[in-house]
Amino acid sequence: MAAPLLLPPPDPQFVLRGTQSPVHALHFREGAQAQGRPLLFSGSQGGLVHIWSLQTRRAVTTLDGHGGQCVIWLQTLPQGHQLLSQGRDLRLCLWDLAEGRNTIVDSVRLESVGFCRSAILAEGQPRWMLAMPGKGTDEIQILEMPSKTSVCTLKLEADAKPGMPMCLGLWQANCSPHPLLLAGYEDGSVALWDVSEQKVCSRIACHEEPVMGLDFDSQKARGVSGSAGKVLAVWSLDGQQALQVHRTHELTNPGVAEVTIRPDRKILATAGWDHCVRVFHWQTMRPLAVLAFHSATVQCVAFARDGLLAAGSKDQRISLWSLYPRT
Amino acid sequence: MMAVFDTPEEAFGVLRPVCVQLTKTQTVENVEHLQTRLQAVSDTALQELQQYILFPLRFTLKAPGPKRECLIQSVVECLTFVLSSTCVKEQELLQELFSELSACLYLPNSQKPAAVSEELKLAVIQGLSTLMHSAYGDIILTFYEPSMLPRLGFAVSLLLGLAEKEKSKQIKIAALKCLQVLLLQCDCPDHPRSLDELEQKQLGDLFASFLPGISTALTRVITGDFKQGHSIVLSSLKIFYRTVSFIMDDEQLQGISKVQAKHVVEHRVADLMVHREADWVKNTGDKLTILIKKIIECVSVHPHWKVRLGLVELVEDLLVKCSQSLVESAGSLLKALVGLVNDESPEVQTQCNKVLKHFADQKVVVGNKAFADILSESLHSLSTSLPRLMNSQDDQGKFSTLSLLLGYLKLLGPKINFVLNSVAHLQRLSKALIQVLELDVADIKIVEERHWNSDDLNTSPKTSAAQPWKHIQRRYFRFFTDERVFLLLRQVCQLLGYYGNLYLLVDHFMELYHESVVYRKQAAMILNELVAGAAGLEVEDLHEKHIKTSPEELREIVTSILEEYTSQENWYLVTRIEAEEMGDDPMRKQSDLQAITSDGHTCQLTSFLAFSKPSPTICSMNSNIWQICIQLEGIGQFAYALGKDFRLLLMSALYPVLEKAGDQTLLISQVATGTMMDICHACGYDSLQHLINQNSDYLVNGISLNLRHLALHPHTPKVLEVMLRNSDANLLPLVVDVVQDVLATLDQFYDKRAASFVSVLHALLAALAQWFPDTGNVGQLQERSLGEERSPLHQKPATVENTAEDIERFLLNYLKEKDVAAGNVLDFDNEEEELSVPPKVEENGLHPDAEPPLPVHIQIAMDVMERCIHLLSDKNLQIRLKVLDVLDLCVAVLQSHKNQLLPLAHRVWPSLVHRLTHDDPLAVLRAFKVLRTLGGECGDFLRSRFCKDVLPKLAGSLLSQAPVSARAGSVYSHTLAFKLQLAVLQGLGPLCERLDLGEGDLNKVADACLIYLSTKQPVKLQEAARSVFLHLMKVDPDSTWLLLNELYCPVQFTPPHPSLHPVHLRETSRQQNPYTANVLYLLKELQ
Repeated sequence: MAAPLLLPPPDPQFVLRGTQSPVHALHFREGAQAQGRPLLFSGSQGGLVHIWSLQTRRAVTTLDGHGGQCVIWLQTLPQGHQLLSQGRDLRLCLWDLAEGRNTIVDSVRLESVGFCRSAILAEGQPRWMLAMPGKGTDEIQILEMPSKTSVCTLKLEADAKPGMPMCLGLWQANCSPHPLLLAGYEDGSVALWDVSEQKVCSRIACHEEPVMGLDFDSQKARGVSGSAGKVLAVWSLDGQQALQVHRTHELTNPGVAEVTIRPDRKILATAGWDHCVRVFHWQTMRPLAVLAFHSATVQCVAFARDGLLAAGSKDQRISLWSLYPRT
Repeated sequence: MMAVFDTPEEAFGVLRPVCVQLTKTQTVENVEHLQTRLQAVSDTALQELQQYILFPLRFTLKAPGPKRECLIQSVVECLTFVLSSTCVKEQELLQELFSELSACLYLPNSQKPAAVSEELKLAVIQGLSTLMHSAYGDIILTFYEPSMLPRLGFAVSLLLGLAEKEKSKQIKIAALKCLQVLLLQCDCPDHPRSLDELEQKQLGDLFASFLPGISTALTRVITGDFKQGHSIVLSSLKIFYRTVSFIMDDEQLQGISKVQAKHVVEHRVADLMVHREADWVKNTGDKLTILIKKIIECVSVHPHWKVRLGLVELVEDLLVKCSQSLVESAGSLLKALVGLVNDESPEVQTQCNKVLKHFADQKVVVGNKAFADILSESLHSLSTSLPRLMNSQDDQGKFSTLSLLLGYLKLLGPKINFVLNSVAHLQRLSKALIQVLELDVADIKIVEERHWNSDDLNTSPKTSAAQPWKHIQRRYFRFFTDERVFLLLRQVCQLLGYYGNLYLLVDHFMELYHESVVYRKQAAMILNELVAGAAGLEVEDLHEKHIKTSPEELREIVTSILEEYTSQENWYLVTRIEAEEMGDDPMRKQSDLQAITSDGHTCQLTSFLAFSKPSPTICSMNSNIWQICIQLEGIGQFAYALGKDFRLLLMSALYPVLEKAGDQTLLISQVATGTMMDICHACGYDSLQHLINQNSDYLVNGISLNLRHLALHPHTPKVLEVMLRNSDANLLPLVVDVVQDVLATLDQFYDKRAASFVSVLHALLAALAQWFPDTGNVGQLQERSLGEERSPLHQKPATVENTAEDIERFLLNYLKEKDVAAGNVLDFDNEEEELSVPPKVEENGLHPDAEPPLPVHIQIAMDVMERCIHLLSDKNLQIRLKVLDVLDLCVAVLQSHKNQLLPLAHRVWPSLVHRLTHDDPLAVLRAFKVLRTLGGECGDFLRSRFCKDVLPKLAGSLLSQAPVSARAGSVYSHTLAFKLQLAVLQGLGPLCERLDLGEGDLNKVADACLIYLSTKQPVKLQEAARSVFLHLMKVDPDSTWLLLNELYCPVQFTPPHPSLHPVHLRETSRQQNPYTANVLYLLKELQ
């Protein structure tokens, strides 16, 4: 037991500088065939998307498509050649990055100026689904892409008053043909929607404060959400598609900007307003590490498929951590 | 010149009498007579009359009975003359003349050489040479028929005897030359055409009989005394190998059948003939092997390069022509060749390399299994004995052994892997290399030499762009001193890297590197060279189709070595005594000893200390220093090896190098700076700035991460320091956040690690001051000081002339100024000031609510100045001094931002006052300097504060201390009190001028300093006091003049107008007083 105490506090493997603006979104693109190490995308408050080579640890290119407005969400499509970026300029851009190109090939108009990050469901088919905040404050809009045809608008019954959707998660269970959507709301509740039937399967109040981020492990049928408060909630989904709070975990300091489970589902990381990234064991929720490096709020965390963790902060730096390498 | 007789008839007429005369009486005179006449005869005529003329000469030689030697000599010479101008066209004549001439040197009817004079011997030898040359066309071949064997044999042994035994060098050379002619090896152009196969074979058969004699005799000559002269050895060597290669020629021997062809010759002659069948070849080969070995042993160390060059030719000739017949000698021959690869003579080297290249091209060695085996075998045995040889040989011996090793490697090329794959041999080889490369680490200076002037922004050594990569630090080895040996060792390692299996070698030496500290430095040196070699830098490839290590593989290997080099346990070695490490002790030492030496040169001091208390770890620290240097040089070499590919490794390699560039040990920082230059060139950066700026992200990353564990990485601030020192303003935006990190870390470690942080702050501010010179203000300052200097001096002549208008103008001015001082008048200056305000307001008007953000460098300077407030009272004097310098720089950088500077200056003030009044003289001086800089910008603020807080104290201490110093002896100048006085006096003058003090305060200063103008004061204090007054003169020349005149007045003043009162100064007497000298000096300056 004494051994861990002797270890110096963990250090980032390296730190990326040069966004010159707080970092709000991070996303790894796994190396497309024979491209060596993966790329990292970062979205900044200044509206730029930086593409970082993890081999040279330098920005390869920057994409400027949001007119100086904060970029809050980044996601690549499965082939890795197309990038989605959501900005607070009410635009969701689709970038073509293949063969060194970096042009906007399409864009979707957002209807509300929220903080809600969008979500996609794409399994390699040409058609994919996009969930984004809708026109009304408590609405979520589902689009079929790339045709941009509206599938439906999800809205809770009038007396629910959930507030704005704050975070979204789309997935499809293996056994079921129905795409499901998890949404965290401003009132601290998490709701599960059946998208095709346009109905709420279940909704539970997990937090006192707005839900800031959630992630879901479809294998274990468990998810985790973090809020502006001190609590990290783990909830599970039973066979009847009902949500249940499984357990909660009290944090030292309030405020979690994003929660991400590592692709191997062993650990999860939270982006803390207290400048720290916290790492937990996903199965047991045992705290494993506090990664203290940043000098301002950590706004986002992302995992690469090889386990590398990236954290972006208001201090304009992106720290990369190599922890508990996968066995 | 006599008339020439062209036609035979004419010639005959002339020659006949003398010929008849000679036939009748054989005397020297008659022979000479004949010879004189002969000179007038044309060659064609002579040819016609050849037989006729020869007759009396031959007759003289053949005549029975004893003859005088001089007669024979003159006859031989005459004969030679005739032969040199004519051809011998008959076989018989040739043979007869040959016999007759040879016989001259023998006792009659005997086979023993006669004891004749040297002149005669020479004449006969030349005669024989000329005879052989005069043989016409094919007739020469008929001469070499079996029947001639005995006579030829006589001549050969005669000549060999002469070459070997004679004392005269001339005869020896002539004999050897003649032998060459006789053996048809003459180089002259008019010699017979080349021989066809059959002819060659016949000649070979014939000459084979002489081989034993020739080879043994020549071996004796060759291996004889070096003093006999190189030309003799050289021609003997030539004859030896030409003869051997002719007789033992593989091609000739191939065609020889078992059975001897029957020659139609006498029985006696047949016995002499040799049949060159296999057994004979074998036997002869064996015997020759012994001789060749002897020759090589002797000649390879011959002092004359031409002889060694001859040896190279011998090897080439024999290896090319007799590779089968002399297979037993191949080992020694190859050894001789490779041993000469690094000969000191460039001619020999070139030839050697040419031959090696030729061999490689023709696959003489590699294509020939026997040779390759022999070479591998030789390399095996050499590597076996190498450790012993390296242990026992002297420098010269090591040099030749290593040359040999190098030659084998060159010649074998890729085939060296056969040897390297044997674990035992690789171990032996590496053991020898490691052993011989052991460094001598006893040199104490290495640890002692310190980097003192890290303040200097331009300390990086001037490394020219053309600096070759191979430049490395001179080092000293335990087992040799000759630089050439080291060069050879490097080449050996490079070749190993080039041809050998790099993975295998790197693995092996890496293991040794880990195995023991004893091996570590050598292993690193070898690894460096292996990589350089593998990249093919400077390696001359004899085997063109050799496949080199691929760039990817090389990068992989370099990455792993780099990782090892820069790992915690191999990079952060103890190079200083631990105590120094903790608090940057050299500084403290310096301060402790300040009292002993006046202008203390710290290097001497510390070395003195170190000698008085020798540390047991000096050697190990030296060793560590070398270890680091070797690894640094390695990094430079790796950069060259990878070229632009090395850029990818910079993210891990550059930081450690910069860290070492900031090391306190001079050697390390020099080598590290060299490595930076190497990287710069290798990776294609234009300059160090470019290198640092382009890679600042990597460096900043390292700095910010390591600052988190300062205890583990105490040198982190150094890296930033080196970056700042070597870069330009473009760097600033890249390091802003890390500068903030540094300041934040400093805040945590004020007590422990202030020293290293202060030096970073200094570097930072010095860089800022240099990168952002405040041009506007500087100009203003200069203008002002110029004006100040000029105005009083310009006024001076006017007052001297004393015209009424001048006085009037002066009075008017005076009144006006008095009004202004009383605040009654709104004058022009004020208006101007008001005019200068509006643009500022306008500017602000553009951003009504928010002030524009401050430039980054201003923000940094403010942050640093903030820290200075705390650090000014550090207990370490050196830190205080440095902080004062930093403060000075802060003020300089901030001077354009008064709104920021003033509040800070206000906060710094109490601490600064303390430095001025209660600190070491050194600190006092520097504090004055800060005040001066500060005075330039915050004059008003400072003036009142200074006059209130500082001046009274300083003046008081000056006054109270003056009687002490006036009485003190020469020892006084070593006391603290003296230094304080001096510092205050030196500081006051410029400050008063800068602050533009008012009259009352100036008087205070003047009063306090006046006493020091006394000649009773120490000279240095007088000088300093004079300087105060020189400055005061610039501020207020008139009152200074008055003051000085009151001390001592050299002239009587008569009023210009009788209506004015005569001037009465206090000290009107012209008596000398203690102030006279200095006052006179100052008054002179005032005019």
